[in-house]
Amino acid sequence: MAVEHESDFAPLKTWSHLAKNRRRPTEYEIVSTNLLWSTDDDAPWAMGPDVPLSRWYIKYRNNSPLRHGDWDGFRDPDQLVYRTYNMIQDGQESHVDALLEDHSGNEHDEGLTTEWVGRLATFYTPAKYLLHTVQMAAAYLAALSPSSTIENCFIFESGDQLRWVSRTAYRTAELRSTHPDVGFGSQERATWENHPAWQGFRELMEKTLVTWDWAEQFVALNLVAKPAIDAALLRTLSTVAHDNGDTLLALLCRAQLIDSERTVRWSEALLRYALDSPEHGDDNRDLVQSWFNKWAPLADAAVTAYCSALAQAVDAGEVARELANHRESLLTPAAVASL
Amino acid sequence: MPLLERSAWYDIARDTNWTPKYVEVDELFPPDQSDPYGIPVAEWETFDEPYKVSYREYVSVQREKDAGAYSVKAALARSSYYEDADPAYLSMLKLHYGAIALSEYAACQSDARMTRFSKAPGMRNMATFGMLDELRHGQIQLYFPHQLVSLDRQFDWAHQAHHSKNWAAIAGRHALDDVMMTRDAVTTSVMLNFAFETGLTNIQMIGLSADAANMGDFTFSNLITSIQSDEARHAQIGTPVLEIMVRNGRKAEAQQAVDIAFWRIHRIFAILTGIPMDYWIPLEKRDRSFKEYMTEFVGEQFERQLLDLGLERPWYWDIFLEDVETHHHCQAAATWAWRNTLWWNPTGNVGPRERAWLEEKYPGWNDTFGMYWDVMIENIRAGHPEKSEAVGMPAMCNMCQIPISNKGGTVWQARAYQLEYEGRLYSFCSTVCKWIFELEPSRYKTFNTIADRMYNGEISPNTPESILQYMGSGVISQGGRDAHDLAWVRAYDEPGATPRLVAGS
Repeated sequence: MAVEHESDFAPLKTWSHLAKNRRRPTEYEIVSTNLLWSTDDDAPWAMGPDVPLSRWYIKYRNNSPLRHGDWDGFRDPDQLVYRTYNMIQDGQESHVDALLEDHSGNEHDEGLTTEWVGRLATFYTPAKYLLHTVQMAAAYLAALSPSSTIENCFIFESGDQLRWVSRTAYRTAELRSTHPDVGFGSQERATWENHPAWQGFRELMEKTLVTWDWAEQFVALNLVAKPAIDAALLRTLSTVAHDNGDTLLALLCRAQLIDSERTVRWSEALLRYALDSPEHGDDNRDLVQSWFNKWAPLADAAVTAYCSALAQAVDAGEVARELANHRESLLTPAAVASL
Repeated sequence: MPLLERSAWYDIARDTNWTPKYVEVDELFPPDQSDPYGIPVAEWETFDEPYKVSYREYVSVQREKDAGAYSVKAALARSSYYEDADPAYLSMLKLHYGAIALSEYAACQSDARMTRFSKAPGMRNMATFGMLDELRHGQIQLYFPHQLVSLDRQFDWAHQAHHSKNWAAIAGRHALDDVMMTRDAVTTSVMLNFAFETGLTNIQMIGLSADAANMGDFTFSNLITSIQSDEARHAQIGTPVLEIMVRNGRKAEAQQAVDIAFWRIHRIFAILTGIPMDYWIPLEKRDRSFKEYMTEFVGEQFERQLLDLGLERPWYWDIFLEDVETHHHCQAAATWAWRNTLWWNPTGNVGPRERAWLEEKYPGWNDTFGMYWDVMIENIRAGHPEKSEAVGMPAMCNMCQIPISNKGGTVWQARAYQLEYEGRLYSFCSTVCKWIFELEPSRYKTFNTIADRMYNGEISPNTPESILQYMGSGVISQGGRDAHDLAWVRAYDEPGATPRLVAGS
């Protein structure tokens, strides 16, 4: 058989697939790029084409109408890897621990008005269901991502949601112990399933969760639903909480926004990446516009239902308009060109 | 006020099931992705993970674990350990990283499927950590070998193996695609968390860790021990899943899932672990034999867990125990003979002392596998090392994608188990691989073994050179050769060595 010589294979400074770049690769590139084997061939898996998950991956990932010649070329603007994710989140969680410890030491919950405590039971503690739907949706998108650099972002997003499901549960338990008669820890499911304030988000997320095309679910989740959730729960609720003397909730919302803003950064970068595709950019823009048109009314309705029920002072229409303006800006060519 | 104990809020965080209103339950949880067994949601809500961890604890503990693993690596990075290491030991690392790094990463998607599609809220949370764990294992097992590509191009396979059509990578992917990539969330958990992670990963991660420590490679030893500590946690997702299945009249399906996955992964891991342990690690550094590890970890611990759950040993248990004494010896010889197809350099390393050890650990080794090596050794000593290299393509198993092979020598057992299905003849290494095929032929029937690809024109022209090229050998890196350039054969020249030469061979 053919004999090769060592000299044919001089040592490399990095993986062969990164060696063509002139600069030294970052840790992020070394451990994050081109990791899926299921995108190497037309058939995602070695199993037969009629196996349900073979069909699923071909239909909802490979044949997605959002197209790009090189999904592996996408890069997370934060260049997050597992190791740094834990470092950052360990620090963030220490901060949240300190907030919780400080406020419980100051008998924060005892000082809340009865009226506000009632509103927390309606508008805050049931949020674990909403956050959990995002945890599930992000996990679906991790499973269906067309490249590892995209998948990793979704993995962190799903982990972030578990973080806030947990912190919401933590606060639920604290509030239950101070205000045992309000139904904390027991009435959340009924509120999530029945209270009008939540039904818009519930409908939005139930429908997002069953939108199997990976790209449409990504757009629905991270470019429409999640910004709406952030606007309603993290910004509006936070402001109203502050006005009602609930500094702890306002600060927790602010901490949660740090995670959300990271998701926004890579999600908008991924959208730009799709719009910048030389072959498919124009089609992708039309497609995303059609998805915005489809999903925005559900998100607007969700924001309006939640915000207008939360407090009379809130201008729910303004919140929805800001979201719409921002979405629109994402698709304007000028926004693309300036980045 | 101190912070609340985890137990004060934990149940609230895993009370996240709701009744969908705007979509149907079966839309939200399609049976093909979620639970094809129709177990009631209320049953899934009893899911109680034996090992509990909060997000806050997770990021803290994992940060510390990473700090430990990376600092050991950093501290030893300036030593010339790898430059001076036994080339056969480096082969173990090449095989490990090539086979494992992207496989662990692939498991992120298996855990992601459980996070999305499990009807058990506790399981969805645990699988979220599992998904993060597998990301860790994929990334750290790329980061560590990355520095070694500057030492040896074969380490490029840590990233490339699973993008290649190398036969060994094909075999690995076929098993993983079957067990963890194309099953619903419930079956994936039984196959991956229980059969694979509870049953077999500790062989690789604990067993090899001991050998690596004996070899002085504390970077690797520490790394895989750290990885196993994650596996041991998220593997526990499988136990309550099995309990719920058994309680809901799905014991037979659970048993079948365990039986399929355990066999499939065993066939791969025996090569991955068994060959380095019993052949490549120098005699004085070997911790235990592969069989001894398997007897303890699988024969005792895993078997006990199966029985505790109300399951049985797989029906093929006797065949499995026989396979533990057979399969990796066959493949040690076969992979060595076909060494130019590999991305690592195997060593034969069956000198007189090693053979005495093998005979002690595997009574009868000399009269079976040993007779094959006798021929190889005789040819090498007669000045014909080229006769120790196999040419052409062996028959491949249509299930495990591994060369069909069995005991040779005086107890010749080599045979293929064949099946004609829809006009095509399928060959299997064993009744177990044939059984798996017959359970669901449509799942497996279309796949072409690498031997099939030679005959159907996918590998063209049908020459030894183009076969090697197709497999990436001589393309991604130089192909494999004997790690010690056959130096181990010289042990037979020493006074007192008693080579067993077979008359007329």
